[in-house]
Amino acid sequence: MFKNLDPILHSQLRLSIMSLLISLESAEFSYLLEQTKATKGNLSIQLNKLKDAGYISIKKSFRNNYPLTTCKITPKGISAFEEYVEALSGYIHKNKPTDH
Amino acid sequence: MEEQFNEQQSLKLIQEMIENAKSKLEAGSFYYLLWGWLVLAGTLIHFGLLYTQFTYPYVAWPVIMVAGLIGTALGVRKSKARAKTKTYLANSIGFLWTGFSIMLLFILFSAMMGKISWSMSNILIIALYGLSTFASGGMIHFKPLIYGGIASWLIAIASLFVAPQFTFLSIALSIIVSYLVPGYLLRNREKSQRHV
Repeated sequence: MFKNLDPILHSQLRLSIMSLLISLESAEFSYLLEQTKATKGNLSIQLNKLKDAGYISIKKSFRNNYPLTTCKITPKGISAFEEYVEALSGYIHKNKPTDH
Repeated sequence: MEEQFNEQQSLKLIQEMIENAKSKLEAGSFYYLLWGWLVLAGTLIHFGLLYTQFTYPYVAWPVIMVAGLIGTALGVRKSKARAKTKTYLANSIGFLWTGFSIMLLFILFSAMMGKISWSMSNILIIALYGLSTFASGGMIHFKPLIYGGIASWLIAIASLFVAPQFTFLSIALSIIVSYLVPGYLLRNREKSQRHV
């Protein structure tokens, strides 16, 4: 049997965020906003969901008196992402022969 | 609202995002060109003054070091203000060049204390340029820096067999092949990537 896809990651925006963060040491909110083309509100909600799942950490600070939000993937997030990709390749291989 | 999407789309999304995150540029050419020209000027002035009656042939170095440090600090400040991400690559390169600076100070200190000759310190500095540019080139997958690093090592070996004052010309040659030439080529690569 194939593993179920992690529902936290199997969402377009949350998966985009995680795919960006897996390749970077950390990224600012504005960078994630630029790359995912999401709205500020939606991005905030999805970041909080990932944070609640323990997949990312969010640091709030200030730069030149402006609030600065920096996101970083956690070790738990890295393993969840790796498991997701593994489960995904299982699905893809299973569907390959009948894929038209 | 969350959109439903299938496994193929999911995989495509992961690939796209990883590719986007990877394509962040590390604007390294500025530092190679800054230090390249400064050190080239410093060594040529020093070499020229060795043939005059001037008592302090090393007079240009403090000015050059201060100019280089100010330029580097401004460059780092500017790129930090612009960068919205921190990459593992930039972090590794930062550690490498910090280590380089410490080694450089150690070599200069050894020469100042009279533990090694100035010509030997020049040769060790050339070998250190070799190490740093070779490793940086490997990290950013840029062959001219790798070749420049190897060339500096060869120059360092050859310099063991030249008269002490000519080791300044060896530094000049090493700076041209491992900083200036790769620096200009890197700048071209950065420009062409910006236009993609």
